[in-house]
Amino acid sequence: MEIRATEIMATAGARELENGETVVVGIGLPQVACFLAKSTHAPELTPLLEIGVANMRPKDTPVGLADSRIFYRATCWSGFLDVMGMNLHRGIVDTGFLGALEVDRFGNINTTLSKQGGRLRYFNGSAGGNDVASLAKRVIVIMRHEARKLPNVVSHLTSPGFPGGKPRADLDLRGGGPHRIITDKAVLGFDAGTRTAQLISLHPGISFDEVAANTGFPLHRPDSIAVTPLPKAEELRILREEIDPKSVYLGQAI
Amino acid sequence: MTGKIRTVTEVVKTVPDGAHIALGGFAIARNVIAVVHELIRQGKRDLTLSQGVAGLDTDLLVGAGAVGRLIIGGGSLDRFGPVHCINRARESGSLSFEDWSSLSICFRYLAGALGLSFIPIKSLVASEILDRLENGAGADQVKGITCPFTGENYVAMKALVPDICFVHVQVSDAEGNCRILGPRWDNEEQAKAANRLVVVAEEIVPTDEIRREPERTIIPAHRVEAVIHQPYGAYPASVFGCYDYDAQHLKLYVEHSRDARKITEYIDHYIRGTADHPAYLEKAAPLQHRSALRARPGLGY
Repeated sequence: MEIRATEIMATAGARELENGETVVVGIGLPQVACFLAKSTHAPELTPLLEIGVANMRPKDTPVGLADSRIFYRATCWSGFLDVMGMNLHRGIVDTGFLGALEVDRFGNINTTLSKQGGRLRYFNGSAGGNDVASLAKRVIVIMRHEARKLPNVVSHLTSPGFPGGKPRADLDLRGGGPHRIITDKAVLGFDAGTRTAQLISLHPGISFDEVAANTGFPLHRPDSIAVTPLPKAEELRILREEIDPKSVYLGQAI
Repeated sequence: MTGKIRTVTEVVKTVPDGAHIALGGFAIARNVIAVVHELIRQGKRDLTLSQGVAGLDTDLLVGAGAVGRLIIGGGSLDRFGPVHCINRARESGSLSFEDWSSLSICFRYLAGALGLSFIPIKSLVASEILDRLENGAGADQVKGITCPFTGENYVAMKALVPDICFVHVQVSDAEGNCRILGPRWDNEEQAKAANRLVVVAEEIVPTDEIRREPERTIIPAHRVEAVIHQPYGAYPASVFGCYDYDAQHLKLYVEHSRDARKITEYIDHYIRGTADHPAYLEKAAPLQHRSALRARPGLGY
């Protein structure tokens, strides 16, 4: 089987996570990436779910956070107050790993509404998204690469990256803010000085021009561009056979 | 062993129009569907609903036109779809809407449960969620505040004290000593913040059984006003350890909830067209159908 974009994304996400980290994960590719890290280089990583779950080891693929499949074989069941209060708000969560409807050049996230074609449509809102983005030491977002999903300014700032391009400390934000945006075409990071999204690597076979054309904000062309490493055979096997054998998340149209 | 056991019909009769109800469900898990259906059957109006993450319960009440104000952290039916009725009501501006985050709702319930008038938080800071609250329906609920000890800035939020909270639990005794299996999101905080608390239990056990493992009691009886015994009371949502969600019925629901007219057809057929929860179960999920959803031992789903 050919390597799918979702598999490159999950692998790139997994490689961002370090052994021993505490990570609050969202459902879907963030969770897939987190399990891949745990099955490879980061066996002592602790995944947390905002609903009140630590270190789950699901064997069947869940449809979402409310699905009992997601918290199978966990080591602790608690609630929002524990995971989001006494971990995130306490400041001990290393990485928040989220999906998004839109992310802008300052890493601000919208999961509330869209204004496509002049029509206002509402979506799921924050749930734990604002709490994770506000409070985690760093935030990784995984999403589809399209100009309308990566606008200059989000239609609604649900969860803060670097609002107005300002340092987070100046805004009284506690967590460290956006670290990576992982898409089906590239990996983006954030410039320490301007706090804007910058290209870190292109996925194999993707050109800079293609990425720039599908990004809603201006993207600086670096002198030399790295290529995102492809998943290794063992990573692919774990993804396909152990983590998502029914391709619920890896098979989705990204 | 009748104790505080009441029927859902009796309890819902004591809920006045305009009441603030806290709902214990999360998306498609442990929603108090039996209560929601009865609120709709009895034609309650102008309710204020609060919840960490709204789901099938809140979407139904909004779809039935029973809600005047929503205070929620988010909302979804997981991969079955968005909360169409809630989103449509927001788009048309037909109800007062306060959009928060899951943790801020939980903190506000916690303040209520602790008898504090407010609570500081580091979420919501520098977001449009905060802007909209400050300039809209939540204007009297949030304010900037500085710590008198460190000088650190916080968002201060008013405590949330619901008139009544309904929580669906797996196990209770007749007095209301209850166990919640699996993750509990903000159930404990909302239950203890509310002025009145009613639990809906899948199973009623003798108090002796509670006494054998009291560390499993999440909410003790003295906080509970009434216990409704209703097996499959959350159907078609899931109850961990008891039954799975019904994917087929949730898909049917989402097909109807997409459209304002079709949701009324759904509500007329399944809710207003049935006398009570057992009659609804017979119509939507006859015995064989619902038995197939029973949780498998060791898995809980």
